[in-house]
This record gives sequence, structure tokens and C-alpha cells, in this order.
Amino acid sequence: MTHPKALIADIQRFSLHDGPGIRTTVFFKGCPLNCAWCHNPECISFAPETLFYPDRCVGCGGCAEGCFSDAKVLCGKEYTPDELMEEIRRDLSYYGEDGGVTFSGGEPLGQRDFLLEMLLRCRKEGIRTAVETSLYIFDEEVFRNTDLILADLKIWDDGLHRSFTGVSVEPIKENFLRLGALSTPVRGATPVIPEIDQGIEEISRFLYGIENVREYVLLPYHPIGTKKAEALGKKQRVFSVPTKEFMKEIQRNAFIR
Amino acid sequence: MLSYDDRLKLLRETKIRHTLQKRKQNGYTDLDDFGTVPLPEGYRVTPYYNSENGSFYGYEGMAENFCRVLGAHPPYVDPLEMLCGRWRDMLVNYRGDVHYLPDWLKNDPKTQEMMKSVTNQWSKRWDEMRFPYEELKPLQKRYNIQSGIDSDAHFACDYSIGFELGFPGLLEKIRHYRTLNPEKKAFYDAEEKVLLAIFDFVERHVAEIDRQLVTEVRPEIRETLLEMRSVNAALLERAPQSFHEVLQWTVYFNCASRIYTRDGAGFQLDTLLYPYYLRDKEAGRLDDEKTIFLIANLLLTDPHYYQLSGVDENDRDLTNHLTYLCLDAADRINISCNLTVRLHPNCDPGVLERSVFYLLKNKNGWPRFCNDLTLTEGYMRNGVDKKTARRRIAVGCNWMCVPGKEYPMNDTVKINVAKVFEVALEEMKGESAPSTARLFELFQKHLKIAVQTVADGVNLHLDHQWEVTPELVMNLLMHGTLEQGEDISRCAELFTVGLDGAGLAVVADSFSALETRVENEKRLTWEQVFSALEENFPDERTRLILHSSPKYCQGGTAADRWALKLTECWTKTVNGQVMPQGRCLVPGWFSWARSIEYGKAVGATPNGRKSGEPISHGANPNPHFRKDSAPTAQAAGIASVQCGFGNPAPLQIEFDPLLKADDEGVRVISQFVKGHFKEGGTLININILDRDTLLEAHKDPNLHPDLVVRVTGFTAYFASLSPAFRQLVVDRFLEGV
Repeated sequence: MTHPKALIADIQRFSLHDGPGIRTTVFFKGCPLNCAWCHNPECISFAPETLFYPDRCVGCGGCAEGCFSDAKVLCGKEYTPDELMEEIRRDLSYYGEDGGVTFSGGEPLGQRDFLLEMLLRCRKEGIRTAVETSLYIFDEEVFRNTDLILADLKIWDDGLHRSFTGVSVEPIKENFLRLGALSTPVRGATPVIPEIDQGIEEISRFLYGIENVREYVLLPYHPIGTKKAEALGKKQRVFSVPTKEFMKEIQRNAFIR
Repeated sequence: MLSYDDRLKLLRETKIRHTLQKRKQNGYTDLDDFGTVPLPEGYRVTPYYNSENGSFYGYEGMAENFCRVLGAHPPYVDPLEMLCGRWRDMLVNYRGDVHYLPDWLKNDPKTQEMMKSVTNQWSKRWDEMRFPYEELKPLQKRYNIQSGIDSDAHFACDYSIGFELGFPGLLEKIRHYRTLNPEKKAFYDAEEKVLLAIFDFVERHVAEIDRQLVTEVRPEIRETLLEMRSVNAALLERAPQSFHEVLQWTVYFNCASRIYTRDGAGFQLDTLLYPYYLRDKEAGRLDDEKTIFLIANLLLTDPHYYQLSGVDENDRDLTNHLTYLCLDAADRINISCNLTVRLHPNCDPGVLERSVFYLLKNKNGWPRFCNDLTLTEGYMRNGVDKKTARRRIAVGCNWMCVPGKEYPMNDTVKINVAKVFEVALEEMKGESAPSTARLFELFQKHLKIAVQTVADGVNLHLDHQWEVTPELVMNLLMHGTLEQGEDISRCAELFTVGLDGAGLAVVADSFSALETRVENEKRLTWEQVFSALEENFPDERTRLILHSSPKYCQGGTAADRWALKLTECWTKTVNGQVMPQGRCLVPGWFSWARSIEYGKAVGATPNGRKSGEPISHGANPNPHFRKDSAPTAQAAGIASVQCGFGNPAPLQIEFDPLLKADDEGVRVISQFVKGHFKEGGTLININILDRDTLLEAHKDPNLHPDLVVRVTGFTAYFASLSPAFRQLVVDRFLEGV
């Protein structure tokens, strides 16, 4: 049997903010959304890409034979399930009872056969998993075979959602409701961008009504993707970073579980 | 009325003031704080020299000068404390090692005149006229060996001997055995002289307390002074009996051992003090608040290495209520603390949780953690029984010791393996068919010579240390010393001498770079590499090709494989070294705080490291070993390179995980500690720091004079470190962000 391969943008060990405990986060390449503030713009395209950081270039003139100064960084490496499992197992001793692996991206469901294969393998080896998804795609088999779903609801208004992410929010809302029929726990989140009227009160009320959305978190925007977008030859809009007071105010009006 | 908390707050402020004052007096010190206090103006010692080379040695020379230095120390009684006695100056300062002497004393014309005969630093610590080692020096230099010759201390006393006998009992013991061993009179006379000087030191404190009682009007402080007086007077008459007395006894002993030559190590704090705590508490003489204050006071007097928790020889948990009080006390005073929490699967899990909570809450580099299972099982491989191995506690930067029974010279003997690698590479240059396999053969050959050189130096030291720097103070609390009339360097039950390798990552990454870029990919030729190294990388691209090769701690790389192979070779070579008289060498990986110094001795290396740059820190990977700098990757890598004979390859890590001291934070860091130990790690020297505070303090140390960082095994006030050292800590930290 030939195993599928996946194009992976990056693997981050000791990841503490992509689910509970100590985790290894696997960033899949490719995403159906194109958020204006995307933290990982190198994970939007489904093809390998080269990022160029001119400040690291030493001007050696040897580009054709390979770059060793990290000025040109290839993003996107193919992994077989065996290879990826090997990486995931490296931190097995550190996962403990709540940590594990988070499949993120990009959109991991963009390479769903591989993702499912990984989820089944992890479950077999007792490694807890989380899938971080845009929820633009619904895949019951995948969602039933993971221990936690991390999903964003970014903007309530469909028009605004389309203009800032490139897609309609309606399928995402619908998929959230479909998730409600499963028993897999969900952590809902919204990246907070002060310039956009995201409708956080509506979003939080909506998510509050879905039983297995166990947690809802508000994440302050950070212009972390700007430099990477620039390295891809793209220009990413810079929003303002919400102040602590702004976040507190927003929290007050949200239905937080 | 001042509460205990008020008093601790004031003591903390005094400590900060002392730190700044000491920096002004001494300049920067890249060392442990040692609990020293500033010396008063007018402090003066006239040393006694008994050697033609202008130094002093042996029983007579050391005892006489100990009396002079201790005698010159003024009593230290702060009525806000409950324990008195502090130190600052020590004997080696008058043997040419002016490292610890305050600048104002160094520059004093009288001091300079006195030091004229001993101008060559370090040279007069060892009596080279009588015990030369000229034949070893070229090899020591060639392999950048820290030989251990002339290094004192670095072993642990059995404090229970002192608690049981007290100063009067020890005096009686010395006199008793002197009559039984009249031929050892010189030894006993020296020990007696040392002990009488300690009596005098205590008496001067009693007098100072009396002097302060005359003017003190605050009732709670008067009460403390009266209690202190009674405690101190009792120590002159008998063995300590109460919790307060046993701590005061410890402070005096520690002062004496520090003044001797910065000697000493702590003990298993919770277990040894527990009977005194229980007895006083049951008798209604002590409550937990006072216990916490007294322990905090002990920690304030000296950041000795103390161990907490662990299990006994039958694997039963040693954790008790005092374990928690010790952690609480450290939290209340929150200064430079060298507390090590020993973990075993049978230990109360609450200890790890409380420890990690304080680590996250205070971000002051304490406590650190050691792994009972690997340390005990490892040490037993040296032919030691389980009971003894279990008693081997963590009492140094990287080291463990069986209190009262072992003379291990730990952390004083090292080989810079990056230098050994350089010598091997140099030899291969002249050969017709260079390869990593051949280079490894040559590395093994030179490592063997280096280890033999170390062995020769260690044996010279052990044969003659008693005639040069007998361990007169620590001998008092060792087994067999007073009974036989012998210095511990001659009569210890265990001579398991620690030999640490430094520069593992530089060598592993260099082998990996050569294998990957020259042999496998053929991007560079051997000649190109040799020429680049010789000229210190004139072409940046060549350097980057080598530097970007797979690195140690990335996980499953060629460099990780080389690190394992090097560890196997290191362990085999060190273990295989034949030693006389029951001595043996025990391998570990550790560079202490010498990575800058060792780096200066090594030219450019094939991992893209330029000539003179620091070598890697202990068993740690090189900087930028992974893009994510994952602490788990570092921890897993270091767990894999343990030598396995009871001496550690510590995981030394500093980072800001952006975690709060809450349930989630405690769970994550506890799991990190447990994970490393599950994989076979031995010791974690951990720094959880606040990024903003550290960077601010780096810019202006005066903004955070209370910031403590764990430099290697020891903690130090960041404000006391030299700019170069501060940079090193900041660089390591930024790597972990």
C-alpha cells in the first residue's frame, strides 16, 4: 500500500499555545482562506515557495548552487506518515497527560487523507491530537478521530468576512453547528483586530450555544506575518495591536466559557 | 512591631544594598555571591609565610593563616536577623590568587607590598618547589586541560557529625585522638588551632550581641537578641540542641569553611533538620512562621547548595513538612538560592509542583532539579552500593557527593574536547587520505593522551594535597579524618574523581559538517576546509556552508549521532584510565562558566565557529541549533549524551515560556522536567526569566539589583556580572525565546 505524502511548511516542537500542555505543531501547507492578517502567509499556497530575506544575504553570488545564509528559505517539504511520526515521537516523553500534537497550517484538511492517516496512527500510539482548522471544510471522519478541534470564527458579518478572508462565513457557521452534533471538544477563537467590526458579541453568543465548544478565547492580533509576507513578495496590511485595555473591554462583552 | 515578613523585607533590602556596595568595592565578579558582606574600611590581615617561595602551605601554614584571616573578620550581628556571622575574605587571597580580593584592598599600597612576592596569579597555590609537574604542563596546554592540581574543597561534609558533637565535642574528639596517634601531632595541633579560632569567632559574636543589647529598645528585637545570645553562648558549651541552635551552628561552620578557601557545600536540608524541627515544635518552642524565618535567614547568610526531597535507600519518600517550609522560606527571601529538588517516582508530586510554582512566580533561577534514578543507578556502576549511592547529594554546580565519605575533586578537572579535536585535525592535515573516520581515530588517540595527563595531575594532587592545602576545616565533619589523623585527601572512603568534558557540541557539529558537506555532498574539499580554518574563514559562504550543516540537538541528525559516538568514546576513555590506590575517574559533560575562556584557546572549527569564539556551554547545543530553539529538543539531545556513571551532563536552559504561575504553567514546566528525567537526564539548571526585566537589566543593571540568574550551576546577581558575562546570559536567553 502506498502511503500519501503531505507538504509540510514547518514543525514546531515545545509549542505551548496551540492547545493544552507541551505540543508539537505541524503546519500543513495550503489554505482556502486568505486572511488579511494571516500569521502564516507562507502556509496559504498549496505549492512549495521560496521566502527571500535580503537582510540575511551575504552577496556570495552562489544562489544557483544553494543558499546557506538563510536568505532564501524553501517552505514546503514532503513527508511520509512514517517520517512525520518520527518527528512527532521525538517529544513523546514531554507530552504528558494533556499535551500532544496539533495539526495546523494552513488548513490541514486541505490534505485530509494524510491528516486522517496521522490521526489514526497517533491514536494507536496513545498520542493526543488536535486539529486547528478554518472549518471551511467539514470532515466528520477527521473530526471524530481527533481529541480536540481548534477553530476560528473571525468575523460575524458575511460581507466583511468575504472582504478580509476571501470567503463567505456562512459555511463556517454551518460547520460549527454540525460540529455540535459530534462529541469532540472544540476550542473556538477569534483573532481580535481593532480596525474591524468583527461582531464578537454575536460570535461568542453563537458559539456559547454549541455544547461542545468548551472554551472560547480572544487572541490579540500581532503583525507576525508581515515579514514573512514580504519575504514572499507580498504586501500584508498592518493592523493595530489591541491594547490590554481594549482586550479587557472586548472580553467583558463576550460570552466566555 | 516588626513582623517576620517586615524583617525579611528589610533584610532583602540590605542584601540589595550589599550587592551594589560589593560591586563598587570588588568590581564585577563572574561568580556565585557566596553570601559575602562588604568588608569594613581598615580591615587588614598580615599573612604568615612559611615557604621560601613566598607562600604558605601545610598544616602549620594553613592553620596559622586561617586564624589570622578569621581573627580579622569583624563579628556580624544584624538584630533584624536571628542568625549571626558572615564572611568576605579568604586564605587563598594571600597566596597570589587575588581573584576574590576587593579592588580597594588590591590597590592598597600595603597590600601591594605584601603581594610583591606573589605577583604571578595562581602560581603560589600549589607548592611547585616541592611538587613540580613541569613535564605535564606542555600537554595540559596542548589539550587545554584544567588539571585540578591545587584545587581544594569540592566535596561535601557530613553535617550530622557537627550537629551531634558541636564545637566542644569536636575539640574533645581532636584531643582524644591526638593521644592515640601521637605521631600525627602536627595534624591534630592544626585542627585544634582551627577549631579554637572558631570558638573565638563565636565568642566575639556573643560580645557584639551584648554590646547591641545595651542600646536596643525595640521589644521584639531585644527578645531576638536575647535569644541569639543564649543560642550563641550554648554553642560554646555543648552540641546544638534546638532548631535555632543547629542553624546558627551551621552558619558558623559555613563561615569558617568559606574563609578557609571558599570551601564547602551544603547538605540535605529538610531531612537533616527535621528531628530538630519536630522536637521544638512538639515542645511548643517553634512554629512554622519562625521556622520559615530561620530557614530564610540561613539561605540569606550563604547560597550554599542544599538538597530537598528524594528517597531513602529503600526508595521511601524523604519529603516531609519541612521540605515545603524550606521552599516557602526561599520564596519569602527570594534571593540567590542554590536549592536542588531531588525527584524520584516515589516522591510526593506536590514538591515538584510547589517548586515549579516558585520558579515561575519569582523568575529568579531557583530551584533546580536532579534525577534520583539516573544518578543513583549511574553512581552504583562505579562499584558503590545502593545505600551509599543514594546518599550522594547535589551540592555543587554540576556535582554530587557522598557527604563525609567522598573526595571527588568535582568540577575542578576538565578537558576542552574542542581543543583535542583541533589537535587531531591538525595531525590529519599532513595525511594523504583525510576522512571523518580517520579524524575520529586521531581524536581517540589524543583524548587518551589527554586523559592520561589528567590522571597524572590528579594523582599528584591527591598524593600531596595534605602537604599543600590540607582541608583543615572540612576535615572536622568527615569520616575517618580525626580518627586516623589524616587529611581527607588521603583517607576518603571514595575517590571517585569527576572529569568533565567541555565543548561537546562544537566537536559533534564539526564532525557532522565534515561528513555532510565534504564526504557526502562533496560541496567542499578537505583542502578548502583546512585552508578556511587556517585563515579563519575569509570566505563567508564557505563558513555558512559548514555552519548550516545538521546540528546536535536538532533530533535524529548526523550531529546527534556524532554526539552519541563522542559520548561513548569519552566515557570509555575516562573509565578505562587506570588509577592507583582505589581511585577512579568518573566522566561527565560540563564547562562550568568557562566557555568564553576555553573558546579563546581554540582556533576556527569546521562547524563554522570562528577562532576564539566561545565553545558550547556544557552539554548544551550550539546557538541556533534549531529554528524553534525548542527546549524539548535540547532536553532530548542532552538526555541522550549522559555518561551514565553518576556525574551529570546537565540540561542548562533559560527561557521565557510566557507562562503564568498558574495551574497550566505549573503543569507544563513540571511535565518538561519529568520528560527530561524520563529520558535519562540527570540535572536541570533552569532559568525561567522575564524577557523585559532581563533586557532592561542588561542595559542598566542598577534597575534590577535583585535580579538573580543561574549562570551555570550557581546563581548570581545579574548586576554583579561583568558585561561580557551578562551578554553571554542574554545571548543564551534570546536563543531560547
